[in-house]
Amino acid sequence: MRARARRSILRRMPRYLVERTFPQGLEIPLGEEGVQLCRSMVQRNAGEDVTWLSSYVSADKHKTFCIYDAPTPEAIRRTAERNELPVDRITKVRVLDPYFYA
Amino acid sequence: MCAAIVPTRAIDETKSEVESVGLLERSGELAALAELLSAARKGSGRLALVYGEAGIGKTALVRRFCEDAGASARVLWGVCDALFTPRPLGPLLDIAHDAGGGLAEVIEAGGTPYEVAIALERELTERPPTILVFEDMHLADEATLDVLRLVGRRAAELPVLLIVTYRDEAVGRFHPLRLVLGEVAAASPVARVRLSRLSRDAVAGMAGTHGVLGGELYRTTAGNPFFVTEVLAAGDEQMPETVRDAVLGRAARLSVGARRLLDAIAVARPQSELWLLKALVPDDIELLEEASASGIVSEAAGAVSVRHELARLAVEDSIPANRREALHRRALELLAEPPSGVPEPARLAHHAEAVGDGSLVATFAPLAAAQASSLGAHREAAVHYRRALRFAELVPLDVRAQLFAGCAWESFLVVEFDEAVAAQREAIACCDQLGDRRQQGAALSFLAQLLWQAGSLPEALAAVKESLALLGEHPGPELVTARCQMAHLQLAAEDPEAALTWAQRAQQLAADLDDAPTRIMALQTVGWAEFYTGGSGGLEKLVSSLEMAKRSGVDWMAVMACVIIVRTACRRREYEIVEPYIRAGLEHSSLGDYDVFRYYLLAWRSMVLLARGDWAQAAQVAQICLANPCPFARIHALIALGLVRARRGDPDAWEPLDEGLALAQPRHEIQWIAQVAIARAEAAWLEGRSEDAIAETDAAFAEGAAGTWWAGALAYWRWRAGADESIPEVGEEQYRLEMAGEWAAASERWQAIGCPYEAAFALLDADDDASLRSALAEFQRLGAGPAIRLATARLREIGARGVPRGPHAATRENPASLTRRELEVLDLVADGLRNAEIAERLFVSERTVDHHVSAILRKLGVSNRLQAVTEATRLGIPAER
Repeated sequence: MRARARRSILRRMPRYLVERTFPQGLEIPLGEEGVQLCRSMVQRNAGEDVTWLSSYVSADKHKTFCIYDAPTPEAIRRTAERNELPVDRITKVRVLDPYFYA
Repeated sequence: MCAAIVPTRAIDETKSEVESVGLLERSGELAALAELLSAARKGSGRLALVYGEAGIGKTALVRRFCEDAGASARVLWGVCDALFTPRPLGPLLDIAHDAGGGLAEVIEAGGTPYEVAIALERELTERPPTILVFEDMHLADEATLDVLRLVGRRAAELPVLLIVTYRDEAVGRFHPLRLVLGEVAAASPVARVRLSRLSRDAVAGMAGTHGVLGGELYRTTAGNPFFVTEVLAAGDEQMPETVRDAVLGRAARLSVGARRLLDAIAVARPQSELWLLKALVPDDIELLEEASASGIVSEAAGAVSVRHELARLAVEDSIPANRREALHRRALELLAEPPSGVPEPARLAHHAEAVGDGSLVATFAPLAAAQASSLGAHREAAVHYRRALRFAELVPLDVRAQLFAGCAWESFLVVEFDEAVAAQREAIACCDQLGDRRQQGAALSFLAQLLWQAGSLPEALAAVKESLALLGEHPGPELVTARCQMAHLQLAAEDPEAALTWAQRAQQLAADLDDAPTRIMALQTVGWAEFYTGGSGGLEKLVSSLEMAKRSGVDWMAVMACVIIVRTACRRREYEIVEPYIRAGLEHSSLGDYDVFRYYLLAWRSMVLLARGDWAQAAQVAQICLANPCPFARIHALIALGLVRARRGDPDAWEPLDEGLALAQPRHEIQWIAQVAIARAEAAWLEGRSEDAIAETDAAFAEGAAGTWWAGALAYWRWRAGADESIPEVGEEQYRLEMAGEWAAASERWQAIGCPYEAAFALLDADDDASLRSALAEFQRLGAGPAIRLATARLREIGARGVPRGPHAATRENPASLTRRELEVLDLVADGLRNAEIAERLFVSERTVDHHVSAILRKLGVSNRLQAVTEATRLGIPAER
């Protein structure tokens, strides 16, 4: 158990912020259709070891800021293409929490 | 060289209750595999990776899955040996034994991995659907890995479920299996089935049925299925602390005779045939049934083995040392003269190694090396040679020289250059002692090649000079090779004239000799030297040499020809001709199993894809190359990946570029240093760090890049970064045109070469709406973030409308929105120069200057030059300096 935990610390994947622009505005369908859509995206991501952590959407629904753990920026772009999502910009980020400095 | 087909895997016929219960908590994995099989049944093959730690139950899972599939699919199963050095094509021997037919014939005849893969594919299409299992692939030899790569990449088109099991903790970053799986995953859909330990509840459940405390059992075993099974089977009052103790506990319940039998079974790897066992322990052989009943060993197809590798290790370790050695020695004697009449060199080498007797190892390891090499398992061949060479003093000098040379060659093929150099030096020392000058000269010539690959051009040159001196008095094929080698090194030192001279001298000598390979090599070298400088006959000679090599069946020469064509054509940006030769080179690498060239060719492919603007593919191919440690392949893959990221504006561009620099610097070779510097300069400039961009180019010039082919690109980036220097007379024309202000002509040239990004980039110097918009459109198509921003800024600068992010109002600094170029021209107009003089000063055509002046007059709203200067002064437009 300890060995596995140690390995996972050493191999933690980089985190990326992905900015997307949706000219028509982002619309995720409600109900079962939406659930299915998200599920299939997660599955496609898994094929490349990409994990979707969370997203923030602008009020007008034209821009999103999404956080991913992924091995490379190329993996993000490949899964984005498969999921038919636009990519404006990718930035590598590290978590900075307020309570860290409290 | 024939190989007797000896099956290794032991399919479980008597499954004890404990084992079947051990398949708790695997229903999800079984269901996943079943789904993959149904896809395979429809003809759409799948690959499943089943992995986890030792003892997690990979084999048990796959076995149960195959049973559940029943008659609906045929099962072909191969196991990788746990010999010190695995037998080449080990699992394929099992599979061929099961399948028979064409595949068995190919294996008997000593087929290469390429031939074996073709036969296997045919077998899979003939009797669909098949579950093809490769077990314990973390132990796989190189030949088996090649077969996996070839078949795996085509799996999607075959009616097969290819299951690969391995221990993931044994597969590190550069493990050959990881490399192969990466390549396969790029071509075929791969499902990952990772097995985890049993839960506390499951363990408690199993414990309950055996009257053991669940909590203690879980704490001891941590849920490892094998460990749990062993503990329960041992049935001791006291809970064993380790797997080893559990296994030995079980073994301790055997009678003395059965235990002796067990020892013999554990020693004979990968399994003990019954005849071998009878000969090893004649008095105890009747106790086989007792041993089987205990569940520690299993029997199949006339051979016995310990059921699990962990158990086997525990048993073998616990045998007293002298008894163990005696068993290995006896096994070696017996296996050297098997009833089938065909001994297996790898097994003999294994037992010799286990005995630890130097003369035995020195006898048998070389045989194993030769067999492995012929089957394309070069990694294993190298290991066998090294084993033998520990006892080098025990063999005569001439044999010793051969062993060192063999070791060097095999090490070279698996990209272990330092080992190769060391071994080759020893070979040379032996030749020296023997007084064999020809051999010594030939060996020195190959040493030069190795030293160059390992990163030291000066040392390589020294070696080849020594070779030439020695061979001068012995003209022959070796001298031709040495002269060719000298020519190669002169090209590496960026001295094509010297290279051509040496190549021609090689050719003159070759003409007098009646040796086809020598003539081919000389022709190839002359062709290379000519093609390098753009001489028209060069490419034809290279293609001729390729055809001749193909006809003579000399695969490595055919690969070399392809490699030379590809790298030289890429350097000259003649991209249209490159791809067919990459493909031909890859094919010949497969045929002869020369991995060292494969990744080099793929790295060039990534560079071509980069140039053509196919960035996603370029990055993907680059990543495949980067799973391999060969520096030659890595450097171009690193440049390609770095530039893809830099041009896209993606993070992590500097990681590959920094590694590229680290690889290039110690080599002191202009072509590497320059290419890396050019990429780094571009990346720095795209990030807005002009000073850093210039600093990168400084490093290349310090190494002597001035006056070479690379000077053009280097000067270009200095110019872009704002340096004010003269345009070099050498280097690529497109760069020189751009520096001279002829952006339109430069862009056309880039377009003709097939480089859309560079073509659009040149248009950034334009000051007309149409050109800049077309550049912007191209950057958007390519996804070139930084360039998009540059093009957009330029469009705003010239006052274009409808540009993203709103219209741009004229600023106070530039009230008339004059472009940089126009300000330059205006400045010279103010100095009183005529258009012709301005054209000369700015290295542009007079017509361009006329165009600029008209624009200036229009923007300032005036009708002549004097008014222009006056108005500019009034507006406070600063002079462009």
